[in-house]
Amino acid sequence: MNDQRHPSSPAAKSEFTVQDAYAYDQRGPRRWIVSHVLRYKWLLIGSLVFSIIDFMAYSQSPVLIGRAAEEIMTPTGGDMLLRISLSVLGVLILSSFAFLGGSLLIETIAQRLERDARQELYVSLLGKSQTFHDRQRVGDIMARATDDVRQLNGMISPGARFIYETVIGIMVPLFYIALIKLELLLVPTVFLTSYVIAVRRYTRRLNPVMRNQREQFGTMNAGLEETISGIEIVKASVQEAFEQTRFRRNARLFRDYFVQQGQIEARYLPLLLYGIALGMIFLHSMVLYDAGRLSIPDIIAVMGLMGILRFPTFISIFSFSLVQLGIASAERILHIVTAQTELDENAGGYSRQIEGDIVFDNVTFRYDDDGQNIVLQDVSFRIRPGQTVAVVGQTGSGKSTLTQLINRTYDVTEGRILIDGVDVREWDLDVLRSQISKIEQDVFLFSRTLAENIAFGAPHTPQEQIEHAAREAQAHDFILTFNEGYQTKVGERGVTLSGGQRQRIALARAFLSDPRILILDDSTSAIDSATEDQIQKAIRRAQEGRTTLLITHRLSQIRWADLILVLDQGQLVAAGTHDALLRTSPNYRRIFARYDVDLPPLEPAPDLKLAAQLT
Amino acid sequence: MGFIMDGLDAEEYDRSYNDRELVKRILRYFRPQLGRMLLVAAMILLTSLVNTGLPIAISSAVDRLQEDSSTETVLLYTAIVIALGCLGWGLNAIRQRASSIAVGNVVLKLREDAFDAVLARDLSFYDSIPSGKIVSRVTSDTQALSQIVTLTMDLMSQILLIFLLIGYLFSVDAQLTLITLALAPFIVITALAFRKIARETVTQSRRILAVVSAHIQETVSGIGVAKTFRQEHTVYDEFLDVNKQSYRINLRTGYVFNAIFPILNLLAGFGTAALVYFGGIRAQDGGLSAGDWFLFIQGLNLFWFPLTSIASFWSQFQLGLAAGERVFALIDAEPRVVQTGNDRLDLVMGEITFENVNFHYNEDEPVLQDFSLTIHAGETLALVGHTGSGKSSLARLIARFYEFQDGHILIDGHDIRSLDLANYREHLGIVTQSPFLFDGTVRDNIRYGSPNATDDEVLAVAQSVGSGDWLQALPNGLDTQVGERGGGLSMGQRQLVALARVLLQNPSIFIMDEATASIDPLTETLIQEGLDTLTARRTSVVIAHRLSTVREADRIIVLREGRIIEEGDHDSLLRQGGHYAELYNTYFRHQSLEYIENAHKLGTQELRQLGIA
Repeated sequence: MNDQRHPSSPAAKSEFTVQDAYAYDQRGPRRWIVSHVLRYKWLLIGSLVFSIIDFMAYSQSPVLIGRAAEEIMTPTGGDMLLRISLSVLGVLILSSFAFLGGSLLIETIAQRLERDARQELYVSLLGKSQTFHDRQRVGDIMARATDDVRQLNGMISPGARFIYETVIGIMVPLFYIALIKLELLLVPTVFLTSYVIAVRRYTRRLNPVMRNQREQFGTMNAGLEETISGIEIVKASVQEAFEQTRFRRNARLFRDYFVQQGQIEARYLPLLLYGIALGMIFLHSMVLYDAGRLSIPDIIAVMGLMGILRFPTFISIFSFSLVQLGIASAERILHIVTAQTELDENAGGYSRQIEGDIVFDNVTFRYDDDGQNIVLQDVSFRIRPGQTVAVVGQTGSGKSTLTQLINRTYDVTEGRILIDGVDVREWDLDVLRSQISKIEQDVFLFSRTLAENIAFGAPHTPQEQIEHAAREAQAHDFILTFNEGYQTKVGERGVTLSGGQRQRIALARAFLSDPRILILDDSTSAIDSATEDQIQKAIRRAQEGRTTLLITHRLSQIRWADLILVLDQGQLVAAGTHDALLRTSPNYRRIFARYDVDLPPLEPAPDLKLAAQLT
Repeated sequence: MGFIMDGLDAEEYDRSYNDRELVKRILRYFRPQLGRMLLVAAMILLTSLVNTGLPIAISSAVDRLQEDSSTETVLLYTAIVIALGCLGWGLNAIRQRASSIAVGNVVLKLREDAFDAVLARDLSFYDSIPSGKIVSRVTSDTQALSQIVTLTMDLMSQILLIFLLIGYLFSVDAQLTLITLALAPFIVITALAFRKIARETVTQSRRILAVVSAHIQETVSGIGVAKTFRQEHTVYDEFLDVNKQSYRINLRTGYVFNAIFPILNLLAGFGTAALVYFGGIRAQDGGLSAGDWFLFIQGLNLFWFPLTSIASFWSQFQLGLAAGERVFALIDAEPRVVQTGNDRLDLVMGEITFENVNFHYNEDEPVLQDFSLTIHAGETLALVGHTGSGKSSLARLIARFYEFQDGHILIDGHDIRSLDLANYREHLGIVTQSPFLFDGTVRDNIRYGSPNATDDEVLAVAQSVGSGDWLQALPNGLDTQVGERGGGLSMGQRQLVALARVLLQNPSIFIMDEATASIDPLTETLIQEGLDTLTARRTSVVIAHRLSTVREADRIIVLREGRIIEEGDHDSLLRQGGHYAELYNTYFRHQSLEYIENAHKLGTQELRQLGIA
């Protein structure tokens, strides 16, 4: 990932910052996680200390049991046995409480990490430009803010906790075994070495199978989902047999991966190694016993200590994959946090009220620089202040991009765009954007009241003004049909508005903010004529006194626009009024041919570039 | 490790099959795997014996060594311990291998059966269950169901281990065994109590996660609005609240989950101490050897681990049964569309007759009542009416997607029920309201209903729709990937592909539900031109949403509440001033040239009233 490229520069340009924000190291996923965890270093140290106490106490228990065995075989009388038993109880209680304490501390770190990381991500999201958000899918961001931060949580607890417990849980018992007899470490050392090798081999074989299996499950699900969603076509086209073959192939492949996984897991070698190690250390102890260098109670203690090793060695595989997942998640989160906003704010740039004169001068736009993906090519036209312009073209012809260049959602690749004679890149971005309002095709409403949605951004707008705006947007009447009128809640726990209704709420919003240039993506449909009437009125009203660009499918809007721009695959193929286009554009004539219009004779199209200069 | 927490976050389902029936049904699927399952059972038994044998071997060695520490004895015991370890591993490997093959095969069979059952359903089934639920029944529930068996096998091996161990311990010393056993209820009760608490906290955690997701979803979707109006701080404060609340709840859940193992360890600690003491006293009395005493202490550890997993078994088992129920309900559902014969028609002229047809989806909501209509071969028929008037149902009955209750539907005079369905549908071409495309190229999609068509035929057909002008707008022409569900194409382009698909099929009867979505005027023109091509020379039934469609139709059928109330052509119906005129004013008026020409005045009048223009 490109995190490494900008060392120690946390998202330099940001539109939103928090005063007392804690500074994390964003130079890489590992450093980032470490800096998050180190924010709570005392909790971490506490947890480690508890864990050491836990295992030391726990390992005392086999040692004490060994002592008890000695007492049994050669009783010293008195209450020695009782005292040893109470000691066993004591160390086990101590171990349990230390275990609990350590767990709770590390859990606290993990939960705080989740909270902090989500907060850091969120702040950075608020700070990102609109350009960034336009390119990012909401689903992707959601996944990072929920799944990935959870993964970070799991990476610490139990992930990291298991790792240090593994280390402590192996070192401490080995330490006690060494205290009993140093040379007894021989078998455990050999075991641990072979164990590490075996586990690595095991995961290397298992991981690809698991990955294939997961992917195959996805493929199977997606295929099934597709068949079911398209069932009407499947049945109508009599393709049931084809779909059945496809599903069976997918299901069988999944079964094969499943069985493969089972077979690899069945041959989990570390389990065998442990069994052998147990036998070998037993042999070693007995040999030492035979030589008179080890007592029976010692053997009991050693076997008990070996038993403790079992758990740490087996949880470690699980924890390494958790940590890997956590690092991958951190990388994804950081990718967003450190992403740079491309446009500069140009604060202090050209700043004055917009008149609404827009000129496109040989504008070319492509998404990347390798010459591919040309979205707009060599487009030139001029819009006078107060004019209404209809932008027409098929999906993918570049309509939306054309309007996005005006408010600098994107910057042109070649050519320039002038507003009131000044290149948009020289305008102060804030000044420019605050005077250009854009209503998207899919109008977004917050889960708040209708009044709050209309007055979003100006919370203290008087009710009369809100209603006035709503009237102008032809929204007042339908708002009053709801029981709670303007106080009606929108969204999940409220009413659902139709596309036409949402559009009019957005128009009301625009009436309140009174932009100089209005861009309206009006590709929604109204299937009934009454709604159509309302929308016509609202848009007609909105055009008054401002430059308006309409991306529209409505012939009635196109028909009456001051200027119609016809785009085809990024090129401006026709521009002019309805009457002019009926005379000169074959495509435009074709549309109206179906309406029994008396078409004038076709004339040659004028040179568009020349026209741009003249109009 | 996770056993005690398994299944905590699963939903609970109502069931209507009884458990015995369900278990029997599941076992039937395992019958072909009988050999493997017996092998698995045998391995479980042997593994349990081996696992019990290990501590016994060690403790007996401890006793023997005190009298006899000869090389032979030492090697013998070493050999026994290692052999038991290797044997346990080997037996377990055989078991896991066999059970993964058995389970894999059973799941495969279940999935195949479930999928076949799904395919055999008529469309009423798909209307009643969302596609996501069907998918999860076929893929996830089948898996959950098969896990019951794995789960039961595991449980059996755990219980067996406990019984073998206890049996042996009893034979050594009854009193100490009772001390060990006394611990069991505490462990089980603790585990159960923990699950109850954990279930609650998990539910809360899940809820708060949904709240966090909803908040982020909303603010990220609306971030443009928030930015334009400089409301970032309000939004951020709301986020902080939600995030803090989520932290508090998750912390509590985390604490609950982290408490269980220390508590169980604590219980085991009491048990161990008790055994050390009481066992020690008996050993000092000579009633017990030191080795046996050590066996009890080791046994305790072998013992409490399986006990906790027994505590979680039952709810897991129930979840598996619930999954099973959903799978079997899917497999057992009866298709409603039943054919009485399998007559094949080589040539269909396309005459469709409805005779006194009654049709409903639910008994209390009749859709078509005593409905009669004859559609002539080659006719283009437009259906108009409000939502719910029965237009779509009429079209879908012709496709035999649903079963009707009374009357007859005849195709060229043949009862529709007597036809071979696959053969009949080959004569049908259908374009749905939002045409569904399969992930693949445009070419694949056009060819979908006619897999044997050549590339040239596909190209010819594509070019005959809207004079092929739409192909230029596709980045790679016919090789353009349409994306999941055709998402890479616009709605208009999807319509064009669907029209080409049907044109390639060259059906005798063409059924189309026109899109209500708005389509740019250029594409719209191409679609209309494509529609002209398709409706020529074949029986066409179009659920009309476009003015140009109704105007060009041979006959318009006006439906209201499942009855034909008017019929005729556009001009005559409009003149009548009846329901059609009303429908025209509601749905079609704004598509007329007159409206387009006058729309400008509409707003202008308003403005004049406001004193602006």
